Amino acid sequence: MAERKKTSVNRRDFLKNAAAGAAVLAAAPAVPAKRPAPEPRPAAPPPPMSPEAEMGTPSSVDVLTADRTGSDFMVDVIKSLGIEYVCANPGSSFRGLHESVINYGGNRSPEFITCCHEESSVAMGHGYAKIEGKPLAIFAHGTVGIQHAAMAIYNAYCDRVPIYMIGGNIMDATKRIPPVEWSHSVQDAAAMVRDYVKWDDLPTSLPHFAESAVRAYKIAMTPPMMPVLLVVDAELQENPIPDDGATLRVPSLVLAGPPQGDSGSVAEAARLLVAAENPVLIADRAARTPAGMALLVELAEALQAPVIDQTGRMNFPSRHPLNQTERGRRLISNTDVILGLEMNDVWGTLHSFRDQLNRTSQPITQPGVKLIHIGAATLFSKSNYQNFQRYSELDLDIAADAEATLPSLTESVKRQLTANRKVALQDRAAKFAAANRESLQQARDAAAYAWDASPISTARLSAELWAQIKDEDWSLVSTVGFVSRWPLRLWSFDKYHQYIGGSGGYGIGYGAPAAVGAALANRKYGRLSVNIQNDGDLMYAPGVLWTAAHHRIPLLTIMHNNRAYHQEVMQVQIMANRHSRGIDRASIGTSIADPNIDYAKLAQGMGLFAEGPISDPKELGPAIQRAIAVVKRGEPALIDVHTQPR
Amino acid sequence: MNRSSVETQPSAAASRRSSYRTSGFAIVGCLLLTAAVALFLSERSTRAQAPAQAPKPAAAPAGNAKNGKQIFEAQGCFKCHGSEGQGRSQTAKESAVPQIAPTRLALPAFLRFVRSPTGQMPPYSSQQVSDSELTDLYAFLQSLAPSKVEFPSTANAQNGQRLYASYGCYECHGGEAQGSAQTGGSRLGPIQIPFASFVSYVRQPAGQMPPYTKKAVPDAELADIYAFLKSRPEAAPSKGIALLNQ
Repeated sequence: MAERKKTSVNRRDFLKNAAAGAAVLAAAPAVPAKRPAPEPRPAAPPPPMSPEAEMGTPSSVDVLTADRTGSDFMVDVIKSLGIEYVCANPGSSFRGLHESVINYGGNRSPEFITCCHEESSVAMGHGYAKIEGKPLAIFAHGTVGIQHAAMAIYNAYCDRVPIYMIGGNIMDATKRIPPVEWSHSVQDAAAMVRDYVKWDDLPTSLPHFAESAVRAYKIAMTPPMMPVLLVVDAELQENPIPDDGATLRVPSLVLAGPPQGDSGSVAEAARLLVAAENPVLIADRAARTPAGMALLVELAEALQAPVIDQTGRMNFPSRHPLNQTERGRRLISNTDVILGLEMNDVWGTLHSFRDQLNRTSQPITQPGVKLIHIGAATLFSKSNYQNFQRYSELDLDIAADAEATLPSLTESVKRQLTANRKVALQDRAAKFAAANRESLQQARDAAAYAWDASPISTARLSAELWAQIKDEDWSLVSTVGFVSRWPLRLWSFDKYHQYIGGSGGYGIGYGAPAAVGAALANRKYGRLSVNIQNDGDLMYAPGVLWTAAHHRIPLLTIMHNNRAYHQEVMQVQIMANRHSRGIDRASIGTSIADPNIDYAKLAQGMGLFAEGPISDPKELGPAIQRAIAVVKRGEPALIDVHTQPR
Repeated sequence: MNRSSVETQPSAAASRRSSYRTSGFAIVGCLLLTAAVALFLSERSTRAQAPAQAPKPAAAPAGNAKNGKQIFEAQGCFKCHGSEGQGRSQTAKESAVPQIAPTRLALPAFLRFVRSPTGQMPPYSSQQVSDSELTDLYAFLQSLAPSKVEFPSTANAQNGQRLYASYGCYECHGGEAQGSAQTGGSRLGPIQIPFASFVSYVRQPAGQMPPYTKKAVPDAELADIYAFLKSRPEAAPSKGIALLNQ
């Protein structure tokens, strides 16, 4: 870099003059330009290890060091945002930032977390934000790093989660060290992910970086929350700070208030809900914070309305009498007013869809049902990726953040409830309480089937795990769809941090790093983080287990090792049946067996305590106990369990 | 892919299909199963109220049975009444569902009932399904005959267990036939429906279950699988399992 500096044209001047240069070029006559006279060649340096080299006087002073560089100032800005960690796989295009974080910044807030894959870095940020409510930072190469990170960025984009990412790059072609830095340079690094980040920028000066860094954080944290990306030139990181930083300042951060529903729409929503005979509340990503849960409980209780929790976030206590998630479809088919809160897929929730040779669908709601939705996603749309789901014909669409709107909605509901209406609503309460108890009992009855099966049933796995953690301050940092949702059906969830929802974009490879990231956030609160880990998901980037061990991130991982990409086994089975051929061959290309992967050995090789594989259900409880003892010492542990498919 | 003219759906459920395949078994909620009781009661009521003028079954309805089959599937009639309109008997947990193929109602009474059903059956407005379409549906129902498949005494449960695994039944219904809330595969052990209904469903399932044709699975092998499912034990009472009472 010293060589770069010595011969550099000031980059700002370079960019400033570019337009003028281009104009001159356009106006110039089409005659061959005279080749400028070559600069005189400097005298050849004396050969190394020669007396001249050791004793002679250099012809000029070669400045090789600098006290403060641009990356130091960048760390000042990052620190001002309260960012606790930087997750990164090291890369030379951000070596300046890397070194400033660990030395100038003292490796504290942010602390550098070593990751083995950029997809892991971003997914760790995803899981961390689900618990902490704010982003950590991710550093990556602007080229190969962002390419690796792309799927994880997309997941976070779909899941409305803030990701704060900085990519390194080298813009000035004359400063790139051949050949690697040419391959690691790009004109527009953000282009490859621009379809699924909320905002990106390419700052060209340190003041520009400062403003854009604060602006990016603010944009990422304003609902709908999403990833942001800054691409930072290596020159800007590595060159000395001009004037020793006398003119630099860190802009202040004031987060934007989340958008709230307008008073007229909120009052109308309240009127419809109060008047409804069978209202239903459906929450998906409704609660952004622990307060969101309490606000939804308050609204549901005011209306005595059932809640269907789609658990994109932990929205509603699982054993609250009004939690009617297990009866959701029945309630939807009977309701006259639906209030959706930050729903990912309104249409899909209100329709059945049949995946046969003829794809058909039909509404499951009654004709005339009133549909209200409150969601911030309406405020931000992009075209290319289709995660916005099918168009829904809403009666009242409130483009606002649900959690921020709930207080005024609940207040309006309470204002409109007459005494007689309140009495009528109370009659619903006993019915729903009984139904909630009945759902729990039905789940327990269903879980009893195949109780002693080997491979172990996912119901047994969930019950054994619950027995060991229920008296702790636990946090389930994985999704539960692939274990037939047993934890949500059998356990009691009543705190926001006890569940973090899914990936958003259904991109596999999210689970393990998101769990480690969430566990990283939980560490300072002393929580017991628990991850039910799908085997196929772990194999995308298992190196994140090493990251957990290296940074002493306490996390209990229980493998749901069904030895297959089981969702795809079923998909291939559908095709084989449709064609009436080879119905016994769906495992080809979809199984992860022969040989079975020994996840305990894999984890042990990365420094984790690990046991398994366990296929006798009687051995599972004691193994989990032993692993929890390790996790309580502040380390990760893994139990490999051979399980039923779902 | 031949996409239905009733409802074309290229992409909205793509991600859902990728991660959450729900089958018709699970989609059939308690409501829809119990709702069908209304039609059964109504049919009985209709016959009881006017015994002397019981309508003659329409021998040759004007509708198009082929189109009626499509309407039967698109409108979800199969969800309560089964893929052959065969209905089902009452069990400890689920209400009975009436057989509607063939229906004993005359076409006008059939139209009236679908528009304004009693009990819990959801009404179908003319916006959802026209009179002409209901006539086609009626023709389809009248064209169906109850299945007469007999369960062979030679069925081999052990071979059925092998086939259950190799033909992929376990994928949605679990290795022990325990079912799954995620796949939508219902619990099958021990199987509760008659062999004839089992065959009928497997050959032409409602909902999401992929069909198993005779070409892929002969009747004799289905009998073995049925014998295996019949041999599955009942679950232990959950009250007696400490871990399920936490």
